[in-house]
Amino acid sequence: MFLNPLMLAGLGAVSIPIIIHLLNRRKFERVVWAAMRFVRISVEKNQRRIKIEDMLLLILRCLLLALLALALARPVLRAAAGALGLSKVTAVIVLDNSYSMTQTDGVEPKFEAAKRAADEVIRTMPTGSSVAVLLASDVVHKLIPEPTYDLTLASEQIKEAAVFDRGTNLLEGIKVAMETLSGRPELRKEIYVITDGQAAGWSRMEEIRRVMEDNRREVRAHLLFVGRPEEKNLGIAGLRLDGGVVAVNVPVRLNVRVQNFGKSEANDVNVSIAVDGEPPMDQTTIASIPGGESRSVSLFARMKADGFHTVTAKIDGDHLPADDWRTVALRAVKEVKVLLIDGDPGREARESETFFLRNALRPVPRAQWDEYFVKLTVKTPTELEGIRFEDFDAVMSANVTDFSASVVGQLVNYVRGGGGLVVFVGDNINVNFYNEQLFKRYALLPAGLGQARGDAKAQEQWFSLADKGYEHPIVSIWKDPNAGSLATIRFYRAFDLAPEETGKKPAGDAAPAGEARVILRFADNRPAMMERDWGQGRVVLFSSSADTEWNDLGARAGTFVPLMLRTLGHLVARQDEHLTIGAGNEFAHTPPVEFLNKDAIISKAPRHFSSATKEEVHEAKRVELVNGAPFVQFGGTDFAGPYEIRVEGSAPIRFAVQADPAESNIEALNEAQYRLLGEVGHVVKWAPGAALEETLEKGRVGTELWLPLALIAAVLATMETLLAHWFSKSK
Amino acid sequence: MAKSPNILLDPLAIQKAESLGLHARFIVEGYMAGEHKSPFRGFAIEFTQHREYVPGDDTRHLDWKVLGRTDRYYLKQYEQETNYVANILLDGSESMKYGSGSITKLQYGKMMAAVLSYLILHQRDAVAAGVFDTAMRGYVPRTGNLGSIHNIMKVLAEFNPTQQTSIGPVLHELAGQIRRKGMVIIISDLFDDEEKILEGIQHIRFGGSEVIVFHVMDPFELDFPFSGMVEFEGLEAIPQILTRPREIRKSYLQAVEDFRRKIREGCERNNVHYMLVNTGHALHEVISGYLAFRLKTHTR
Repeated sequence: MFLNPLMLAGLGAVSIPIIIHLLNRRKFERVVWAAMRFVRISVEKNQRRIKIEDMLLLILRCLLLALLALALARPVLRAAAGALGLSKVTAVIVLDNSYSMTQTDGVEPKFEAAKRAADEVIRTMPTGSSVAVLLASDVVHKLIPEPTYDLTLASEQIKEAAVFDRGTNLLEGIKVAMETLSGRPELRKEIYVITDGQAAGWSRMEEIRRVMEDNRREVRAHLLFVGRPEEKNLGIAGLRLDGGVVAVNVPVRLNVRVQNFGKSEANDVNVSIAVDGEPPMDQTTIASIPGGESRSVSLFARMKADGFHTVTAKIDGDHLPADDWRTVALRAVKEVKVLLIDGDPGREARESETFFLRNALRPVPRAQWDEYFVKLTVKTPTELEGIRFEDFDAVMSANVTDFSASVVGQLVNYVRGGGGLVVFVGDNINVNFYNEQLFKRYALLPAGLGQARGDAKAQEQWFSLADKGYEHPIVSIWKDPNAGSLATIRFYRAFDLAPEETGKKPAGDAAPAGEARVILRFADNRPAMMERDWGQGRVVLFSSSADTEWNDLGARAGTFVPLMLRTLGHLVARQDEHLTIGAGNEFAHTPPVEFLNKDAIISKAPRHFSSATKEEVHEAKRVELVNGAPFVQFGGTDFAGPYEIRVEGSAPIRFAVQADPAESNIEALNEAQYRLLGEVGHVVKWAPGAALEETLEKGRVGTELWLPLALIAAVLATMETLLAHWFSKSK
Repeated sequence: MAKSPNILLDPLAIQKAESLGLHARFIVEGYMAGEHKSPFRGFAIEFTQHREYVPGDDTRHLDWKVLGRTDRYYLKQYEQETNYVANILLDGSESMKYGSGSITKLQYGKMMAAVLSYLILHQRDAVAAGVFDTAMRGYVPRTGNLGSIHNIMKVLAEFNPTQQTSIGPVLHELAGQIRRKGMVIIISDLFDDEEKILEGIQHIRFGGSEVIVFHVMDPFELDFPFSGMVEFEGLEAIPQILTRPREIRKSYLQAVEDFRRKIREGCERNNVHYMLVNTGHALHEVISGYLAFRLKTHTR
């Protein structure tokens, strides 16, 4: 077999000496000569010898060229052991750097052991070997993309490598490694996958096996498993703002979900949260989390100033520290301005359609209205001329018949730019306008209005909300029975909400519309409250009225106040959702104008468990104008935690990166799975000090023959030179 | 080929050789007379034949009777009895046409023959010169008159070789013709059967004449300095041979050496002077060298 079979064409060069020989016989000098008798005597005496010498040289030259052509074609003997010492290897090391590799055995993280295993792999490579290094998490990071002969460099790079707060997908890493090796003309190709035995990393086992099987003839795969499987792991699987408006000095409820990834029950789990890296602000203890289950707790934080903040939740440390904390970024505001559009002002305040709304959104005595963070402005539809929607954080429309075309246009732009809109219905509304304009044309509303059911006058008959299914953040507090019940509210009349068919792609004016979601359902499972994201903004549609005409919600302050404030918070939070992203995602933000054309320093403090003392991320980015607004973008979010974007003279923008909680699942591969892998690769359960070299050497069969061929060719060349010199000597 | 016969006389060669003189140190008839100016100069002892007058002949020997009767110019020739007669034989075979430089062996031989003729005539000895290949082609009969050098040169100059060599028979023939002991000078590359050559020489020696063999060879024939692939095209019987001369040089030189050794030894056996003449050397040096050698070996 030949690694470079094209070079076999070089065998044709064997004809060259023959041609030269024949041409030489035709190319001669003609001399008219008298002393022919002496020439004849000498020639007769030497003819035979000269012929034999000529033949010998010709054969040598042909053989020399044939050997050179063969050597260049790089023939190999698959079966032969490396007896000739030509066992150089071309390898790709796939080093798992997902965050499960931070798991320690109490002494050092698995990743350190993996690095040492990688180093040993490199050390055992025969002279002349080359190696590429890939870091595999849920992405493949090419540390050394193409095999390098500089093994020291490879070692250095591996030493510098860091764990990313990402999940594992070894399939991609193995695929890239195979692609790197495929088509390379070397004989011995090897890949080394160095990982922990976490089952999650091998979730696509069948595909991995297929890739390895397909390349098995050419590439030998070594699967090195480091560290021992861990039985216990607790991790914070979720941390999010749990509704409400994030206002300065107002307690903000945060939902912390702690998951027990182990099999045995975990007791007395301390959970705390801290703002901007300060001492914990709130803490609680979860008495017990059974194995494989999770528990959510609500903790409160208070922002001392307006602007961007990061809130980090922590649990007690365990052997996998990367998931023992999680950060979310929030923006605290001093005040929230709300525009109420009253479709039925009535003759006195109590009859106003927005009477209950006003009280619910500003649930404090009149004397404290000025200090309260929600600022209300009430207008009737006819007073909307000259109003700038952009001055408000949210707009609530209650029982408005319809809007003029210009107001609709303004509303659409407002929502597109990040505004929040809440729509309440009632007796006055023009159903046709709502359906044709707001729903069908712009798809601002998450649903069209169907039949209205119930009779507002006959209040002895009512229907109620469902008593469960409070998954939406706005209503999630009612999951806790202590918070009261939504099911006791009486609805006398409500529209059926008819969302468009699922899977329909919005187009035209409706293009920015997002998916419609149900916030709250009636007991008969019909939607009572729905929402959709639209552009940068969000729209909530309530199927009944804002006053007590169609329901008694307004009269139940204990329910209506939190429902409305949480709805308001949900609308405002829409603008800040992008502040918390998953690891590896790109952070994109429109900063204030004063950031424009300045260098923003993006930085992240080192994690408390990391061995790295320097800042893991420190990068300068120019803030540039994109689509008429300052824009900053940052992709290097491989590490979880709070990040900061700082421009001199301005308050920092903070954002948070969260790791994929699935990686916390420490479930290890079972013996059957190890056996399956053993069928397609060489499985080594590596422990420090294990004799890796011997096991690897055994697998390195096959010998390249080019060197011995080249050596023979060199000997022939020397012989040819010496013989030619000797033969041409006068005899 | 030299058109003007005079160029055959190499002035430098003659000047050098004259000072040395050509001495026939063997006992020949009229040896003493050869050393002095002949008192019988022009005095006929024995009439031999008539010969047509050619310009340059001494008019004293004109046969006035014949002129009166027939109006033709004839010379009376006499056999001179004083001094010795040198027969100069130049090989004019095709192989002599070879020359690696500007001059061929034949041209060199012609000059040599002319110079020797002049020298011999100049010291009042008689010369008969001839060019031969398979037989005698051009011949100037015996003359002791320095003026007839012109005739000799004309014959030499006009000769153009066409044939192979056959030295043996020519020598045998010459041996039969020589009636008096004298000197025979052979100028040849001797590319012939060496046995036959030696037999011919022996024949002449048997008649009592001294024989001098000037073995003319080209420097290339002596050194064989060729390289690469060469096709040798034979000037005589042997057709072309293709070979790499560098590789056979040693055995070539050996063959030449063997041949020369045989000739030389044959010559020595017969008390014949053998002289290798390399046409690469200046003619005057060759001749004066030989004459010096003669003086050294025979002046006692």
